[in-house]
This record gives sequence, C-alpha cells and structure tokens, in this order.
Amino acid sequence: MSDATLVSNDAPTVLPTEPKAPTAHDSNSLISMREIWKTYQMGSEQVHALHGVSFDIPRGEYIAIIGPSGSGKSTLMNLIGCLDTPSKGEYWLNAKNVSEMDDDELARIRNQEVGFVFQTFNLLARATALHNVELPLIYGGVGSAQRHEMAMKALAAVDLADRVTHRPNELSGGQRQRVAIARALVNHPSILLADEPTGALDSHTSMEIMDLFERLHGEGNTIIVVTHEPDIAARAHRVISIRDGEIEKDEKSR
Amino acid sequence: MSSLFKKRAVTYDPVNDEVQVRKRSSSFLKLAPLWDAFLVALGSLRQNKLRTALTLVGIVVGVAAVIAVVTIIQGLDNKVATTFSSQGSTVFTISKRPQIIRSREEFVKFNKRKDVTHEDAEAIARLCSACWRVGVAANVRETVKHGDQKFENVNIRGVTPGTMFDIDGRTIDAGRIWTEAEGASGREICVVGPDVLTNLFGGASADRVIGQEVRISGRPFQIIGVLEPLGSIFGNSRDSVAYIPYSTYQKIYGARDSIVTFIQVPTAAQLELAEDQARTVMHNRRGGVFKQEDDEGFALETQDVFLELYGKATANIYIVTIGVAAISLVVGGIVVMNIMLVSVTERTKEIGIRKAIGARRKDILTQFLIEAVMVTALGGAIGVLTGFGLAYLIAALIGFPLLISVASAVLGVGVSSVVGIISGLWPAWRAARLDPIEALRSE
Repeated sequence: MSDATLVSNDAPTVLPTEPKAPTAHDSNSLISMREIWKTYQMGSEQVHALHGVSFDIPRGEYIAIIGPSGSGKSTLMNLIGCLDTPSKGEYWLNAKNVSEMDDDELARIRNQEVGFVFQTFNLLARATALHNVELPLIYGGVGSAQRHEMAMKALAAVDLADRVTHRPNELSGGQRQRVAIARALVNHPSILLADEPTGALDSHTSMEIMDLFERLHGEGNTIIVVTHEPDIAARAHRVISIRDGEIEKDEKSR
Repeated sequence: MSSLFKKRAVTYDPVNDEVQVRKRSSSFLKLAPLWDAFLVALGSLRQNKLRTALTLVGIVVGVAAVIAVVTIIQGLDNKVATTFSSQGSTVFTISKRPQIIRSREEFVKFNKRKDVTHEDAEAIARLCSACWRVGVAANVRETVKHGDQKFENVNIRGVTPGTMFDIDGRTIDAGRIWTEAEGASGREICVVGPDVLTNLFGGASADRVIGQEVRISGRPFQIIGVLEPLGSIFGNSRDSVAYIPYSTYQKIYGARDSIVTFIQVPTAAQLELAEDQARTVMHNRRGGVFKQEDDEGFALETQDVFLELYGKATANIYIVTIGVAAISLVVGGIVVMNIMLVSVTERTKEIGIRKAIGARRKDILTQFLIEAVMVTALGGAIGVLTGFGLAYLIAALIGFPLLISVASAVLGVGVSSVVGIISGLWPAWRAARLDPIEALRSE
C-alpha cells in the first residue's frame, strides 16, 4: 500500500463555478469518472454527497471502494451502477457517456453492462434459482432456449448446477449469494458491482464468496466491491477510500 | 463453467462486444418480457387467492347480471319473433277490451262496453270484402279429467271450425277437425293439445287417444283430433289447450263473456283496408250506443300492439341492466385499482430488483397492467359463465327460452378487460416511475 498511485490527482478542492471544458475520457478505461458531483436537496439545504470525484478503472481490475457510512460511497456505487446520474460531471462506461442518459437508456446499460451483487442478495423470493438468473436475459430480450442455456451455464459456474429448481428460501445464505452472482454474470456485463457482498454472511461463507470473486477476477472479470470492511477491501488489487464525498486515498495494493 | 467464461471472454474484444450488443438490440423482442410478466402476474394472483377472489366479485357480479339478462331477453326476442310470425301481421282482432289496459279507469270504461258477439263476427264476415278468414274464439280456464287423472288450468278455447285453426296457426297431428255441421250442432267433441296427452294419458301416442273421452266441466267430450305442439312462451305452454266448437262452448258457459273476433287478410297490404271495413261494420252495429269521439265501443288491434309494448319493456330492462352493470364495473374497477396499489406497495422491493437488472419503465408498466387485466378478464370470464348459468337456471325454472350468444360472452370479457386496463393504469404507472434506489432500499 506504500506505492499508492493517486489517479485522480486533478480533482479540484473547490466547486468550479465557471463552466469547465469537457474533459476527454480515457478511451483505454472501462470506467472514466470526471468531476462527478452529486447534490441532494434536503429541505432548503443542498447536501453534496460527492464533491467532484474523478478516477479511471481499466478493464479487468479488481477494485474496492471503502469508506464509513455517510462517506458517499453508496452514492458513488449507485452512479457506477447506473441506478442514478450525477448532478454534474461525466461518467463514461465502456465508451458510452452514461451521465446524460434517460431512465430507459440507463435500464438498458444496467442490463447489458452492469452485474449487481447486493448485501441482501435481492433475489425474487417466489422464483427459482434458474428463473432469477434468467431475469436479466428476459429484459435483454434473449430467446427462451438460449436464455435457459446461458442461465444454466452461469449457475454451473458458481457450482449451483444441482440447485437450479430451488427457491431462495430453500438455499443457504452463501448459495443465495452465488445465485445472485450467477444472475449478475449471466448477461456478460462489463463490470461486476458488489455492494457489501458478505455483509449478511458468516465469516466462513464470506471467505468462500471472496474466493469466488478472486476466481472470477482471474477469469478476466472487472470487479468493483463496495464495502466498509477493511478485510474485504484487502482482497482487492486497488482500494479507493472515500470520505466526506471525496477520494481520500486511491492505492494499488498488488 | 469454463465455457461460460470463454463466452465472457468475447466481451474483452470491443468489436465483438459491440456486435453482441447490437445483435441483442435487434432481437429485443417484447414477447419474452410479456410472457414473463404474464407468468409473474399468474404467480402473484395464485399467491393471494383470497384477495384475488374478493377482487373479482365486483366484476363477476356486473358481467353476470348483464349476461344473464341479455341471454334471457335475446331468447325471448327470438321466441316472440317466431311466435308472432305464426299468426303474423295479417291478423287483427276485434274485442270488447284491448289486450293492454293501462288503468283502473280504462278497465271500468271498457267493461261498460257492449259485448262483442258471434253476430258481430258474422256481420263482419258477410260485409267486409277485404277480410279473408273470420273466426271467433272465447276462452276459459278449466280442469280436464280422464278417469281419475286431472289436468288443471287447461285453456278451453271455443272456436268456429276451420278458420280459427288456420288463424291460430295450428295443425293437426292425428285425427281431424270437426265439420261445420258438427260445430253448429253443439256436440261435445274436442281437439286437444299434446300437453293433455302427457298429463291425462301418460304420454300415449296421438292416434291412440282418438275416440277417448275426457271430462270438461263435468261433461264427457270425445277427442277427435290432436294438435301438433307449438311449445311455450313466457312460461305458458300453448299446448295445454283443448279446442271445442263455439256452439258447445256457448251451451256450457253461456254468453257470459265477450268473444274475440279474429280476422285474417291474405297479405299484409290488405290489412288497412280490411281494418277500415271491419271498423265501419262495427260502428254501424254499435250505432248510437257510444259517441265515437268518446269511445268506439270495441278494440281493433293487431299483434303490433303487443310487440310494441314488448319492445318498450325489454328496452327498459336493457337500460336498467346496463346501469347496474356499469355501476358494479366501476366499483369493481376501483377495487381492482385499490388492490393493485397495495400490490405495488408490497412489491416495491421486487420492482427495485427488476429495475436494477434492466427492466425499463414500460416493462414494469406492462407487468402490472397485465396483472390488472388478468384479474378483470378472469372476473369477466367467470361472470359470463355465471350469467349463462343463471340464465339457464331461470329458463329452466320458469320456462323461459334461452339464447346463448358468443358475442355477449366476448363482449363481457372484453369490457372487463378494458376495465382492467383503466383501473390498472395508475398503479402500474406508479410502479414504473419508482426510483430504483428507493425501491431497492424498501423492505
């Protein structure tokens, strides 16, 4: 952690009031965040959740975003996951400018480019593991035969080939999270975005899930883990620390 | 496992990645999400069976009411049309009282009139050149007996021979009609409807009862003929009848009741002329008894009077039914909307998950609309079946005719589906507009 590289060294410390010329995004990066601001209106007050954050993530990186609660890391995760758009700034994901997209375009990007893994799994309770994994393909318009095949492969990839007809309540926490990971990966997204992926799991299962992430990274996936646990963050190859809406540290650990 | 990530590997190549994305967008069929939405809706309705059932009630009641009424009225329409065409628009009647009496005052007024008699009928037959057939009929309800068998409330119809069977549109199944001479002689002979056979002779065949004896008003009558069946209308069987010669009728019942004179013309075109002639004959015969401007002293009517009244009555029934149905569909629609709003609230998390993994607004909108339409269409279908069942039951109980139409079934389900779309739109729109972050955060 000593050889920390500050990627976004051009991040401003004051809000630029004059219009800034759009910064060209780094075409080699999978993710390019430029001067990202997120401002919420809380009653009469404006709250800045992110203060001009900039960073790049190249393809195939395993990165952790860490910070205490209220640091703005959830806001950042929502932006990376295209659940939200920045108040100001540019976000390029896989050579697409996401920051100006409307609701349906964002939905499409989430479907094609982002695979979410949540703390509480967020599986559909009434659906089987297979159907849960097929869901992104349904919204992606993949035909039923191909959908089934892809979902089966994704479940096999997380070692759940024998649990496809089980519903979430018939699976253990670790198994549920693996179903969620299969769902995240089934559409071959650009990034795997995990929000506290081990927060609801015991330490043994947590390690299994983290081992799975490591393996997926080894197979070429770009993985972003948002967490407040240093142990989990330590598994990543690069750690961005967020505090008070700004990047406090951005260091490569391996 | 390895194959999945071999596939995954293609996305490393930006060119291949683009190709893959483009291929998908071209096959971005709406069918898959639609089918999924259909299954989700089905699952959600099954999950909450009781709620679904209660939601359905309003729609079911509305649709069932309309279907039952429409089915019965269409059956009636059909029956009325065929029945009246058997006498048709070539027949008019002259009687003391009209078929429809609207008030007590009218009743009193009509009762003061002179009776229409056999002589009136004979005068018309003699003087009205446009009249083709003239016959008279008088009716009484009487119990008919055979041995120890009794058949109550039989329509005993005293008629002039020949003409009245033709005017009534009756044909003989077995035996014969009495002759003019027999009719004039006042003999106790009769031609009976098939219901008499069923009730007094245990359903014996028509030719086996010819020559048998029945007792009408204590007198022995010989059966000389059996009529072909005509079926029933408004729950009254038209086959529960015994025709006897008018002279015999007079002998037994006296002239205590006014008779009805039936006049038939060969074609409808001559109806007006015949009516005018018959009216003139009657005016002359009534002479100074009544002031014409006050009261003609008799009623000259065609079947149209009845058809008009029937049309008005059924139109009113239709209007009332449609009103009832509209109210219950509106209430049913509000219930569906309410339940859908609850459902959206309950499934906020699910909506968030679906949005996070790529459902667009219209996907969510469609999903909830399908669910709403499914509820109401199901309600409509159950309503249609219940309506048909109800109509069948009513028809069976009171002998109404029945006409099951596919059009009304399709309309029932169609209208309730439209109710589903209307009442599902607002909840579905709310679901579609949910912020994915907020929705994911909800429990």
